Amino acid sequence: MDTLLGALHAAAWATYVGGAITMEWILRYVQRTMPPSQVGIVCKNAGMRYRWLALGALTVIGVTGGAMLLRIDDAVLASRPGSPELSLSDPYGRTLLLLTALWCLLAATVALMAFWLHPAQRKRSRPEMSDAEIAAERARVGQAITRMDHALKFELVVSVIAVGVGASLHRGGLA
Amino acid sequence: MPDDLTTWLHILYGFTHDIAIAVYIGGAVAMEFILGPAQASIPPAQAQVMGQKTADRFLWLVWGALGTILVTGVLRLERLEMLTWSWPFFETPLVLSDSYGRTMLAMFLLWCVLVVNGALITFVFRPRLAGKLNTKITAAQVAAAQGAKLQAANWVQRLTRIDLGVALVIALMGASLKWGGLI
Repeated sequence: MDTLLGALHAAAWATYVGGAITMEWILRYVQRTMPPSQVGIVCKNAGMRYRWLALGALTVIGVTGGAMLLRIDDAVLASRPGSPELSLSDPYGRTLLLLTALWCLLAATVALMAFWLHPAQRKRSRPEMSDAEIAAERARVGQAITRMDHALKFELVVSVIAVGVGASLHRGGLA
Repeated sequence: MPDDLTTWLHILYGFTHDIAIAVYIGGAVAMEFILGPAQASIPPAQAQVMGQKTADRFLWLVWGALGTILVTGVLRLERLEMLTWSWPFFETPLVLSDSYGRTMLAMFLLWCVLVVNGALITFVFRPRLAGKLNTKITAAQVAAAQGAKLQAANWVQRLTRIDLGVALVIALMGASLKWGGLI
């Protein structure tokens, strides 16, 4: 059971962080070589799928992480390098708390992207719109794209930091 | 904060190893379930260009990740004093009489499968897909060349899916090492 939980937890982290790196390293690069009209279609399609994948992966990380935390055996924990303890007076406990805070930050960022920033990129045009209204709508969509871009970069940086914090747990923690 | 270099090296190797695995698995998932379907939403000619560029870029990630996984894996085992540079090289529990050692051997063999599949995609099937048709060839030759390209594309897709499955099995085995191994 512990192995299954550990494998699911690791696979969910890998899917989430690797997905974020791939979107930044591959999709952003490909976008630069495509006609703008097709960039919009690809981004809309990829963005919609990515948000569900990211939310799913973060949910699995949260559930399996919580279950693993509940199953921690103090005696087994003490036998690991650095004899860690599940307490805030020990670096291991503080690192776990930090990791939980980073997970909450990532979940909030992905939820923000999924339910606010991504829908805000949709252009709302009506035939009766004046030139000023069309210009304002374009500016609004441009601003939403910029915010989405910042959110994606922030998410990528935080997720990579979270992997580093998680890696430190094998040696008794970081904080 | 840890105050000795050894602990920091352990953390650094672990972090790099984990990131490389994440890039491999997450990249394969993103290519299969995000970029592939997104590619299908644009006209075929543009989709082909996009497919070519994403695959070329992804192969860089794959080879970088596979190399990093091996190097950091060896360095971690050396730091854990399971691997030495003198005979018999492997120390307990990294021996075949121990579940830990058998699991590690299985992981290494599966890593070799990923390398072989990666080599097949990079050096056999991708060049076939990228080959341009000569203007002086007959209609039958065009049909044969297109058939070969379609077959190569199907093989790339099959191997990518196999790689994703193999990588997930490796992740399962890697997770089991914390509890002494799986086999």
